[in-house]
Amino acid sequence: MEMLEGLLENYIYLVAIVLFIIGMHTMLTHSNLVKKVIAMNFMDTAVFLLFVAVGYVHGASPPIVDKTAEAGAHINPLPSVLILTGIIVALSVTAFALSLVTKIYEYYGTVDADEIADLRSID
Amino acid sequence: MSFVEHLPAILIMNLFIFAFAMPLIHKWNRNWATIVSLFSLVLSFSISVIILIEVINNGAISYYLGGWEPPFGIEFYIDYLSSYMLIVLTGMGLIIFYYGLDNLPFELKGEIVGWYYTLYLLLIGAMLGMAITNDLFNLFVFMEISAIASCAIISVKKDRECLEASFKYLILSAMGTGCYLLAIALIYMITGYLNYDMVQAALVEQMAVYPNNVLAALSLIAVCFCVKAALFPLHVWLPDAHASAPSTSSAMLSGLVIKIYAIALIHLMFRVFPLEIFYEVPLKEILLWLGVLGMILGSIFAMTQENFKRMLAYSTVAQIGYVFLGIGLFNQTALVGGLLHILNHAVMKSILFMVAGIILYTKGLKKVREFDGIGNQLQWTMTAFIIASASMVGIPITGGFISKWYLATGAFEAERPFFIGVIILSSLLNAMYYFPIAIRAFLLEPKPESMVYRPVTRNLLIPVIILTALIFYVGMNPQGIVGILENAVEVLFNQM
Repeated sequence: MEMLEGLLENYIYLVAIVLFIIGMHTMLTHSNLVKKVIAMNFMDTAVFLLFVAVGYVHGASPPIVDKTAEAGAHINPLPSVLILTGIIVALSVTAFALSLVTKIYEYYGTVDADEIADLRSID
Repeated sequence: MSFVEHLPAILIMNLFIFAFAMPLIHKWNRNWATIVSLFSLVLSFSISVIILIEVINNGAISYYLGGWEPPFGIEFYIDYLSSYMLIVLTGMGLIIFYYGLDNLPFELKGEIVGWYYTLYLLLIGAMLGMAITNDLFNLFVFMEISAIASCAIISVKKDRECLEASFKYLILSAMGTGCYLLAIALIYMITGYLNYDMVQAALVEQMAVYPNNVLAALSLIAVCFCVKAALFPLHVWLPDAHASAPSTSSAMLSGLVIKIYAIALIHLMFRVFPLEIFYEVPLKEILLWLGVLGMILGSIFAMTQENFKRMLAYSTVAQIGYVFLGIGLFNQTALVGGLLHILNHAVMKSILFMVAGIILYTKGLKKVREFDGIGNQLQWTMTAFIIASASMVGIPITGGFISKWYLATGAFEAERPFFIGVIILSSLLNAMYYFPIAIRAFLLEPKPESMVYRPVTRNLLIPVIILTALIFYVGMNPQGIVGILENAVEVLFNQM
């Protein structure tokens, strides 16, 4: 019961982990390459969610500098800043992955990993 | 003096700046692009040498980027291990680049070479960053740069195998970095720091309060770096990727890229996680046994391959096992052996991939069974091949012998003589697939259709000869390098 309460209190962490596992599972088991790329974004977004949630303080204000404020009055801005970098990184990986998928489609005529494996085993 | 202080930043920024200028310069004048990239690599190499001397004389360097001190700023921290890696990365990067001068125009379409230089410089810069950073999140950023750059130097060849191999590599390494980012989040949650030293200090206290977080973070980090370093059961992406890439990229990827992840894992294991955690989780044992499995099975897979480059790629899976053997035995001698094997394997595997590139260039041959009698025309190349494979097997006076000797001594010190047997078995397996090729090349009669021959150019041969000399140098005068590594390892064990 205590554990359940703890989970309910920190439900964001639970959501993040579930999203992460969905993403990882889809990425490794789905044969459609575009779905793999989408799942990769799922994974990254889950971690971003977790990271930002870590920096959140209940009832605190956005971290706009106000030197009179006490400690704990603002949320922690550092995770949000890190995640901005993380989003840029995830975006560039997605862009590169999608460009590879288009190239693969040009050469094989399909975006399905199983069909590509069949095509490659023929020649 | 102020200039010397900023060398760690210049080391990396110079590569990144020239990387993005490269397509422009290439469009303007093709020769200048080559000269400028060569200049930038030479600059990085000389800075690495200066840094190594500085570290030997005055101890470790720490550098705050932009003058912001940790915990808010990013810190570069260069000790013996990092400066050793800087020399290996920039030196090998320079030699492989020189090989690429003639190899790339042959394997790629002309216009794309300028873009290739961009990727190459970015990759070296990112690896240097991974070797010297002292910040968890900064390591993540450099890992992603190096992941994209290393996938791109595979797919740049634009044939269907390369594209598929590159995509597979990208997906698996994205999974790895996803796990790593989650691990950072778990660590940040309980410590509030990202700087290695501060995290370690905080983890010592927080371990007792939040053991689950630390354990989950450690296992996620282990998975991430084992995927990226291609430790045995997670190596599935490697053979395709390394075999289908252009020879220059293969030498780079097999020789350097997978090693840097092993180095990053060593950094994290020794400098971030407190020692107590390794009594709770058998991570060392897991790495040890996976390394051993890789050493044996990688070689067995390599024997069954027909394609020469694919064989070399499987051999890489076997050789990375030695590095992890050095980590897993967890004593100073074995770790010196593992770290020395990083240099040795970088040199040997680069030679072998360069030889593969030269055979492709001169005769257009890829399959091992077509190699009958090619030694008659390619004397220098195939002699280098024999020396490199002798070093792979670990014959005395070559570099490979020294690292295997240290690993075996380490296994003996750990009172686990079983692993000495494994090292010997793996060496014999290596001999079983390398020496038949040498015999085939020199002793069999050449087939009439393989007599077609394009003369090998000087630029292709010079790097191979330099690296062959390096094998003998390491084999006969290992004191200097081993001295640096012994210091490095001692520092690491003290930091735990």
